[in-house]
Amino acid sequence: MIFRRKNKVYTDSELMRQIVLGDQAAFGELYLRYKSRMYYYFYRMLGNSADLANDFLQELFMKLIEKPESYNPAYSFQTWLYSVANNQCKNEYRRREVRKEYQSAEALEHKLDYLNDSQVEPEQLVEKVFQTLDQLGEEHRSAFLLRYREGFSIREIAEILELPEGTVKSRLFNAKKILAEKLNYLKDEVEF
Amino acid sequence: MKKNQDQLFAQLLCNDRIGEPDNAIEDRLMYSFLLKNSSSKVKQNSFASFFNWLFSAQSLGLKTGLVSLVLFFSVINNQLNIDAGTITTTDTLFSKRVFVADSTSFIQTLDSIRTDSLN
Repeated sequence: MIFRRKNKVYTDSELMRQIVLGDQAAFGELYLRYKSRMYYYFYRMLGNSADLANDFLQELFMKLIEKPESYNPAYSFQTWLYSVANNQCKNEYRRREVRKEYQSAEALEHKLDYLNDSQVEPEQLVEKVFQTLDQLGEEHRSAFLLRYREGFSIREIAEILELPEGTVKSRLFNAKKILAEKLNYLKDEVEF
Repeated sequence: MKKNQDQLFAQLLCNDRIGEPDNAIEDRLMYSFLLKNSSSKVKQNSFASFFNWLFSAQSLGLKTGLVSLVLFFSVINNQLNIDAGTITTTDTLFSKRVFVADSTSFIQTLDSIRTDSLN
């Protein structure tokens, strides 16, 4: 990669400042930092589709190329990037006109029987976790991903999803509760 | 050993591997960046930003000062010019007329024949 920097390590905000001035190496560095994380986010948010995740990843960084000045350096770059990504996902859901209603734990009872299998591999377990989250809706999935995959704080998640902190907490609580109730495997492992 | 619920979910998701994005995306993005940069460089030669500044409400004090300075010097320059009202003819001699109502102060030039013939 000819555009990569080798010596100094720049912060995300510094790289963004250089991108505004037309520094291609800075853009290459920023893409390298975030490509895998954003790809994962899109993959899990958009129904585990690699093609869609690639398209959305490209679209996200194209926005960054076209309007780098839309980022305010006074705020965290990570939070801003995930909030743009989350808005892309929201638009996609709107476009598909998929409006899944939240389903209560009772309503899910019969649908999630497959989770009671105690002999599951970790890979299968992750898939089952996401299948469960799919039933809950994209709002729960995004909060869950941002919290447990990306390690964002409740305040940061609230900023990304443009929600009150209380709502984020309650979504995480509901998601965890339903997952824990449904996964017998987890019941043996988890302390409540 | 039992684990905390949060730790378990975090561990589960962090160990989740789904592969890497398509490498062609990076190439396409780099090319787009290059295109955007090349088009913006042309704009550096334009006067658009200067005219924007000139006709905007920015730095009004500075602009007013500059205009006042230009006006001041143009007025002073005009008053200092003692040859005001002089009409220079094509040859080296010149006819000098003072435009005042009082005709008694009319100054005749040395080469009055030539200058009269021009009028």
